[in-house]
Amino acid sequence: MEYVSPIDDSAAEPVPFALRPRELGGRRVVLLDITKNRGSELLDRVEQHLRLYGAETFRLSKEIFSKPASSEVIERVAIHGDLAVEGLAD
Amino acid sequence: MASAAPRFTLERIDGDPLSLDALTAGGPVVLVFAHADCPTSALALRRLAGLGQGPAGVALACVAEETPEAASRLARRTGIRFPVLAEPAPFEVSRAYEIATVPTAVRIEPGVGVTGTAAGWDADAYERLLGASLPSEEPRRKPGCGARWTYEAAAGLDELEDMIERGWSDGLPVVPPTPERVETMLGSRDGAHSLGPVPPAHGVATLERLAACAVLAGCLPRYFPVVIAAAEAALDPGFNAHGIGVTTQPAGPILVVNGPVRDAIGLNSGMGALGPGARANMTIGRALRLLLTLTGGARPGGLDRSTLGHPGKLGMCVAENEEASPWEPLHVERGFARETSTVTVFAGDAPLSVSDHRSRTPEELAATLAWAAAGQWSPFWWPMDDTSLFVLCPEHAMLFGAAGWAKEQVRAAIFAAVQRPAGELRRGETTPLVQVSADDTPVRKWTQPELIEIVVAGGEAGRFSAVFGPCNGMQAEVVTREIQWST
Repeated sequence: MEYVSPIDDSAAEPVPFALRPRELGGRRVVLLDITKNRGSELLDRVEQHLRLYGAETFRLSKEIFSKPASSEVIERVAIHGDLAVEGLAD
Repeated sequence: MASAAPRFTLERIDGDPLSLDALTAGGPVVLVFAHADCPTSALALRRLAGLGQGPAGVALACVAEETPEAASRLARRTGIRFPVLAEPAPFEVSRAYEIATVPTAVRIEPGVGVTGTAAGWDADAYERLLGASLPSEEPRRKPGCGARWTYEAAAGLDELEDMIERGWSDGLPVVPPTPERVETMLGSRDGAHSLGPVPPAHGVATLERLAACAVLAGCLPRYFPVVIAAAEAALDPGFNAHGIGVTTQPAGPILVVNGPVRDAIGLNSGMGALGPGARANMTIGRALRLLLTLTGGARPGGLDRSTLGHPGKLGMCVAENEEASPWEPLHVERGFARETSTVTVFAGDAPLSVSDHRSRTPEELAATLAWAAAGQWSPFWWPMDDTSLFVLCPEHAMLFGAAGWAKEQVRAAIFAAVQRPAGELRRGETTPLVQVSADDTPVRKWTQPELIEIVVAGGEAGRFSAVFGPCNGMQAEVVTREIQWST
């Protein structure tokens, strides 16, 4: 039986993960605070650990946690980081 | 007691034919019937992949109810290395073995026949059939799916199961979107016309896909103009369908329909206005939900991370009872002509029913409504900075109207009625404002009275109103769109 699909197949394709680096030494890591309550505390701890491994860190924030990051924020993540860590929830 | 094992030859995914006789030449074989749309089949094959070419002394093979290409993809996806035989339609081998469910494992002894079967995923039964141990991972049991040949055997009935198998559902049966039904839903509209991407996965909402959702939801074609306007409103970036689609809060879109279209298509604004019962209300809200879920990818448990959800997320479409209201209807309040038909979308969570059969003054009733809403979001979270939608029953609305209160006065009275000192609110989940305020600083439940929206709906008897809590933190704007509709 033939049906009309409600699904846009081009959007359903999973996006593969980017390759993960084996070492953190000398890497620039962006810590993105989505502005959820206490997310910055989590990122503070993550930042301490990253520095212990020799990473250089850079903090950024989204405008609001409940909306996608603006293209400006995404661009700044790309400019300032080899890697990014997002502090997701409270 | 063994039964006969029908002989067959099927094509392997590498292109070579393989017969049952060849499979059983060296001893018993276990055939696993499966297909690619069945999650339980994938689970079973992934678990069996750990056996490599199969256990010692027993041949293992998968009979996939698929074309060779689809069977190859299934093999790659599940990582199996034992032989995979492609069995495209009309599925004669599955039919001969009377496989009702996939996966089903069938053990065949040479010269004897079928000596055991296991339907669905049953790790213990599979271990017995294979004579080998499997990884001790959960789940050990999971029901299977309908085998493909059974769809054809009972077309009509299993068409509905097919929809569920495809995932084109919200958990309830749906109407299959055949080309004829979708074409009738579209009418003279251009199916390729796009309403834009649907968050969070950004599938594009063409009118054809929206019509497919409307068919699935059970809409009649005359509801479709309302569905289109609802989708336009929900896809307005101000509504923030992304945040509402993925949040852990049990929130969703709430539609309010105004204007002459209500009666013309049979929307119920009277008794039982919030449902269930009226096809138009139930299916229009459901069509929007299916668009967000299927085209937009906000599947519960997938990108939709709602911790609990609630039944109203299936679809919530309220028609305002303009005739029972002492005030201008919502769309007129928002700048549209009374004879225009509109749909307005709010972001909200489950409705809370508020009984008040005793109040005789507007002040008393406003206080009842306000204090009922005071627990919204979280009891100590004051103030809220998002919209609460009050649905007043006609008797409550008339009490205000008889006292000569404008809607603006009701809004102001609800806003002013609830106020608590910050010190009483400083526990559990509370706001940054409360955290830094002196104990005796008065705090209100909303940051401004404009966040209190009011519509009228419901039957003429009974003093039960309702309030939908806000989608807190989403900055979800209330969006109204005109319905392009004619009699």
